Amino acid sequence: MWTRSLSTSYYRCFGCRSGGPKVLWRSHAVRTCSAPALPAGRITPLQAVNLWKRHFEERAVTEPELSSQYIIAHLLGAKTIESLEQERLTEFLSREQTEQIWKLCTRRLSRMPVQYVIEEWDFRDLTLKMRPPVFIPRPETEELVELVLNDLQMKTEMGVPDKMEPTCLEVGCGSGAISLSLLKTLPQLKGVALDQSQDAVDLTRENALRLGLEDRLEIHHIDVMKDAETLLRLIRPVTTLVSNPPYLFSEDMASLEPEILRFEDPAALDGGKDGLKVIKQILTLAPQILSSYGHAYLEVDPRHPPLIRQWVEGNVDRLQFKEARHDITGRPRFCILQKEEVKQGPQAGSGLRN
Amino acid sequence: FFNYSFVDLRCFGFVRMRLTWRGSLLLRPPPTGFRFVLAAGKKDLIDLPVLVEDELEEQFVRGSGPGGQATNKTSNCVVLKHIPTGIVVKCHQTRSVDINRKRAREIMREKLDVAYKGELSEVVTKKKESVLRKQEKRRKANENLERKRLFKEALAADSKPGNDTV
Repeated sequence: MWTRSLSTSYYRCFGCRSGGPKVLWRSHAVRTCSAPALPAGRITPLQAVNLWKRHFEERAVTEPELSSQYIIAHLLGAKTIESLEQERLTEFLSREQTEQIWKLCTRRLSRMPVQYVIEEWDFRDLTLKMRPPVFIPRPETEELVELVLNDLQMKTEMGVPDKMEPTCLEVGCGSGAISLSLLKTLPQLKGVALDQSQDAVDLTRENALRLGLEDRLEIHHIDVMKDAETLLRLIRPVTTLVSNPPYLFSEDMASLEPEILRFEDPAALDGGKDGLKVIKQILTLAPQILSSYGHAYLEVDPRHPPLIRQWVEGNVDRLQFKEARHDITGRPRFCILQKEEVKQGPQAGSGLRN
Repeated sequence: FFNYSFVDLRCFGFVRMRLTWRGSLLLRPPPTGFRFVLAAGKKDLIDLPVLVEDELEEQFVRGSGPGGQATNKTSNCVVLKHIPTGIVVKCHQTRSVDINRKRAREIMREKLDVAYKGELSEVVTKKKESVLRKQEKRRKANENLERKRLFKEALAADSKPGNDTV
């Protein structure tokens, strides 16, 4: 269908020719389908928002108003249009500002996600740099962090005997959202983050530096599927394992919206035939990664929790499926597992389960 | 649960302590069957109604399909409804759903406070105090202007022609 390239852009023109058939453009050169001309006179931010909202609607770009608002607010130095004073919104833009708006909004015409257009996004209370093709954090994942935090805070309150300082390992860190969020909130936490993508490793490092958290986060370029032994040699057992691994079903990849299909790394999304390829590998390694009673937290596809429970029970020693939790939209989304105590005595190593 | 640092003073229908923003102590009976919580860690010590999650209904733009990795939407508007009173709060102040949810709850607590306590609610009393302060300021400013005006007039009267003396 589409060959993806990061240095050139592809545009799908809906209604470029009024009344004519939909045309598919395929090119290795940057091709715009007549990007809207700059206005002749001066305009205000509000007028620009309305103008671009219409442009986006005409080209069937999703979230036309929101896209327009986020991009223009960003150029005015704000995160949301709502946070800008009415005066500012009705003040004429300079020529330079207008050109900047046109440049960025034109990128959105190609269905580039807003987060890549403005090169940043927020995750909980952090602002992170975003760059294609590194996976953009989803709102559901903010809840995964909340889950981990609640458990960790409860542990410290209960005074669970933990001679070890709290440590966290994240598999598939992407932009670093999860690890950095945890580190920011828990000053005593130390983290290790891995990703099979060098781009992701670089971006996580960049975000860690920007947030001043680089001294508490080790970042490694490791593929958990291929370099398991390297990983196990590298790290010491951790109290917490967290991951938002690729969990989409391969057959669902082709029907993804253009924002995702054209711009995000498919390796960050594709979990194989049943979406469980990477999840199973992580859980297989979990007993060696976690310290006794340590917890693993996963974000998964809504169909996964019962499948994971069943699979772990039959295939992973010393790991217990504790519970599945729903996300804010009511879909089963999170799995929590715990490493059982390392048993001493004759049963140990026999693989027998009570 | 939402990272508020608070001290829980649960008193059902009994006399309880209330710390006002001035720091003086007043004793007031609370509405029966309602829990109040001191929200410490804020600039002013205020007590707002506690939210019971079971009484809340939350709505998000959900979309079809499995969500999660399969979607990339930037809409993060949270709509929170308090079922017993029917009060609805909408929040899309930030780019984070999580923060919007927390803010929606803060706003809901303030709205419930007004709903339950009316005249005596934090929001209303603070507004009144603010209005009073502004009025006082204006009064003083006017007084100053008046004083200056009188002084000028006095000066003008002194330097009238016919009065030159060396």
